Amino acid sequence: MHARKKKYRGGHNGGALKNIVVCSLVIFFSAFVVIPIIVVFIGSFHQWNPLKGEFSFLGLDNWKKVFGSDLFWLSMGNTVIFAAIATSFRVVLGLALSSALYSKLIKYKSLYRILYYLPTITPLVAVTFVWKFIFDPQIGLLDKLLQTNINWLFDSKYAMIAILILTIWKDFGYAVIIFLGGLYSLPRDCYEAAEVDGANSMQRFRWVTLPLLKPTVLFIVITSLISYFQTYIPVMVLTQGGPGTATYLSSYLIFDEAFTKYNFGYASALSFVLFVFIAIMTGISFKVSGSTQTE
Amino acid sequence: MKKKVVSLVLIASLSMGLVACGNNEKKDAVKNAGNSEEYDVIGDTVTYDPNKPVNGGKDIDTEFWYWTGASNLFESLVDQYTKYHPNVNIELVENPYDDYWTKLPLALQGTDGPAIFNMHNSQHDNLIDYMAPYDIPVDDIEAEFTGASGHVIDDKIYYTDYGLMTATVYYNTDMWKKAGLTKEDIPTTWDEFRKVAKKLTIRDGDGNLVQAGFSYNGGIQGDVLGMQYQYGQNLFTEDNQITLNNDAMKEVVNRLKEMYTVDGVCDYNFGNNSGDNFGQGTVAMFLGWGFMTNLLEENFPDTKFDCFEIPVPSDKTPYAYHRYNGESTFGINKNASKEQQAVAQDIVRFFLASDSIQKEFCLANSVFPAKTSLQTDSDLLAIPSIAVLADHIERYIWPGTMPSTVEDNVKIMLEDIFYNDKDITKALTDAENNINEDLKNSNFESQESKYKYADETIKD
Repeated sequence: MHARKKKYRGGHNGGALKNIVVCSLVIFFSAFVVIPIIVVFIGSFHQWNPLKGEFSFLGLDNWKKVFGSDLFWLSMGNTVIFAAIATSFRVVLGLALSSALYSKLIKYKSLYRILYYLPTITPLVAVTFVWKFIFDPQIGLLDKLLQTNINWLFDSKYAMIAILILTIWKDFGYAVIIFLGGLYSLPRDCYEAAEVDGANSMQRFRWVTLPLLKPTVLFIVITSLISYFQTYIPVMVLTQGGPGTATYLSSYLIFDEAFTKYNFGYASALSFVLFVFIAIMTGISFKVSGSTQTE
Repeated sequence: MKKKVVSLVLIASLSMGLVACGNNEKKDAVKNAGNSEEYDVIGDTVTYDPNKPVNGGKDIDTEFWYWTGASNLFESLVDQYTKYHPNVNIELVENPYDDYWTKLPLALQGTDGPAIFNMHNSQHDNLIDYMAPYDIPVDDIEAEFTGASGHVIDDKIYYTDYGLMTATVYYNTDMWKKAGLTKEDIPTTWDEFRKVAKKLTIRDGDGNLVQAGFSYNGGIQGDVLGMQYQYGQNLFTEDNQITLNNDAMKEVVNRLKEMYTVDGVCDYNFGNNSGDNFGQGTVAMFLGWGFMTNLLEENFPDTKFDCFEIPVPSDKTPYAYHRYNGESTFGINKNASKEQQAVAQDIVRFFLASDSIQKEFCLANSVFPAKTSLQTDSDLLAIPSIAVLADHIERYIWPGTMPSTVEDNVKIMLEDIFYNDKDITKALTDAENNINEDLKNSNFESQESKYKYADETIKD
């Protein structure tokens, strides 16, 4: 019995299994993450169109074009604003609704959980087309409900707001579920101690819940930022970057350069800039979170 | 045991029978391909002899790729072709339109790509290096197909147009009648057009639009690119650079803007897709290309409409009415085996020679036939968007296979002018610079110099 246990824990079969699992992951990440990143980096120095089999060295031309392009800077500015607003709404709405659902005063919790999560599981392209109708100035529901006459998708004051409305509606449910999971996992004794100290519900939320939920908040902020820096489908379906270039986001610019103009070299340079930018933003988020935890 | 033996004998005899049947079918096919029946030679200049065996009458498989939406058309072509050549097995492979243009060039890079495929001139740059030229004399194709000369590369033709379409004014005939307008009121100049558009515009007591006389909401870039020809202004310079910042284009854009801001025939919040709004009955006129005919009939069968030719600045014959674009004939894969390429060449010749198939394709796509023998065909001319091209087909220009950056940047330019109130000169200059920057990486060559009346253009 003892021998069998030993063989299972540290024997040849276990070791082989571990090696297979690790090798599989290394191969998977190499094939789908590391190698593509290297290829994109190399491609950024080339005039590259895989459909024509074209791959000729350009030196730094694509990089110079990136940093000299007004559209690139506009799209980066739009992306930062978009990601900041969408992430803030996701966190605030998610936290508020999950706290409400966590409360003992709310009935039919499962029903609310389902309702909030439903937009998250709907296919993005399909639901974006539905929102396109909702935003229509003639037959759209939104103008009728608000008693307004706004051309949401063709007015540069409102087009980005329209994309944000769709994005927040689609994604807040995910944050609700994650925060709810975080709330249920918080230790009860902290709340009991706070109650003994005479803390009211607001004080308990501010001084107990929020600090303990910090890892969950960080997780949502980082995953949201990464995902929103790469948003392009709502732009593609709703506005195609318009009116003019008002709603160009950096990922839509990359998509447009690569799959409309087949300018893969330039798109690669853009992608690499975005990749580095996301990495820096993620690093800053970890750093900020780490320093506040130390405090 | 006895039963097992009997079963085995039965299975064996059935299998033998099936094998024998298969062999007989193959023999029959070869016999048919060897022409037991005499067929007439098809066509006038580009001719096709169905009696000539393909692949020596031996069986051959080949793939034919096309994009979704026209399966009946391609099945009909294959049925008619294989009636003459039952030894050719053509596998039709249908792809979604967007995927098609990434899958196809990648497939053509290897040796397993389709021998023959449906082509669109917008993808010329990505596909031309994989294509084999037609083995039909260029002069023969030029003699029978309008615009073929624009597709000649180094004295060879790799594909040409079977159908032509352009920007046409679609108008709602019921609204036309209600406004007291008749066929006599069909405008030929822009001034007349603006008057008619005003008559067709309906507002309620509060001044809100109920019916737009003319709308271009949702994108007019494809139509604007071509209107400058009416003033004698080419789109491209001799060194293949685009020119947008010129008086002709300013005139075109200003007029479109004034129709909304001065004439009040529509506004930018009155719907986001003029074609759909026309079908829904809120717009009396819009500019659409030939393919809109089928879309309107399918999606809005209750909307009655007709078409008229795009108006021009004055009663004088313009340098050109507009540009046209073509529906392309098929491409042949130069990396396919010699035998398969021979089959593909034979299918292309059959397609070009046969008036009935050409007509079938033109009818299905509502395009004006490039084949001259069909240009007076009454069935085709009964389609409004085809009929409008009949009188002046020679006064339409094909500028060449414009890369997508042209329409993309003109779309941005027009939205900036119409929706974002950007200064017109600044918008035209920005678009011109952006397009010319992108054209540096393209092999685009303008075909404007091949236009019949090219010498009438404005000389800078």
